[in-house]
Amino acid sequence: MSKELLDSPTSIEIDDFQEKDTREPNLFDKTIGYIEDLLMDEQFQSLQQNFLDKYWREFEPVEENKLIYTDVFNEYNKIIESYITVRLEKSIPNFSMEGFISELNKRRSELDGEVFDVLLTFTDFLAFKELILDYRAVQEGKVFDLSDGIIVKPLNLKN
Amino acid sequence: MGLLTILKKLKQKEKEMRILMLGLDNAGKTTIVKRLMGEPIDTISPTLGFNIKTMDHKGYKLNVWDVGGQKSLRTYWKNYFESTDGLIWVVDSADRRRLEDCKEEMHKLLQEERLEGATLLIFANKQDLPGAVTAEDIAQILDLESIKTHHWKIYKASAITAENLLEGINWIVEDISKRVFYND
Repeated sequence: MSKELLDSPTSIEIDDFQEKDTREPNLFDKTIGYIEDLLMDEQFQSLQQNFLDKYWREFEPVEENKLIYTDVFNEYNKIIESYITVRLEKSIPNFSMEGFISELNKRRSELDGEVFDVLLTFTDFLAFKELILDYRAVQEGKVFDLSDGIIVKPLNLKN
Repeated sequence: MGLLTILKKLKQKEKEMRILMLGLDNAGKTTIVKRLMGEPIDTISPTLGFNIKTMDHKGYKLNVWDVGGQKSLRTYWKNYFESTDGLIWVVDSADRRRLEDCKEEMHKLLQEERLEGATLLIFANKQDLPGAVTAEDIAQILDLESIKTHHWKIYKASAITAENLLEGINWIVEDISKRVFYND
């Protein structure tokens, strides 16, 4: 590959940015796209897996919840939140979570993509309890783990 | 506040309310919830953690959080304040001895910043028991008249006979909906 070709992507990028094609996703949409991607990737799956692995023994399949569940759940939210933040900071130069959050505030009426439903599930205590109890059941061999036969592939939502 | 907390607030579903049930131990919080849900109430043991029940009521979805009331558990109550629309304070009307204690704990809650603006419903429970203090007397002992920071109302009630349980829920839901959904 010639030096010219190696250099060229930089200049193309700058041109793209300056052209301001209206169909070009803006920073906000790009960020949403990144979040969609990073919730699908292996790193996230293993983060979640490790967390469930650490705590499933605390959870029992009964209706009443122990007070410690709340601590575990809050930690779960924190871990996911910081994972998202760190990954976005790595992917987007000068990314600011505060800026993104204030943008979310401004667009509150248009937040209806599937990614928001996924993010909201993380904040739902009962959904979390179900998740970790399912995990427990698998660990205890009470249900047949079907996940071995499933291949999870990211769905590319961008054209 | 982090991303998830903010999103939860932004996307808070319309017509959804978070109700927190507190009170001293043995006040009957869990029994009231089970009664409202139509579940059996003959095998209830003291709550050491918390229960969450979801009820559909007049087009609203109520998420009811019932947290154990034993003294050692009360320091954990604060973990459940966030986003509370309504507080149901349950009183064992037959436990005269502890009404002062009951008053103190309730007034402590009313000073909590995260419960600011929450509607307060008081159930003077166990009215089916002989010797139960009347709701009027309880209102006085709890010094309800002094509460200016929260909308409040007291109902004499019984989890056993179901007296006034629905009426109380009707009132709190209506008060919250006026405050939260119409004035938004």
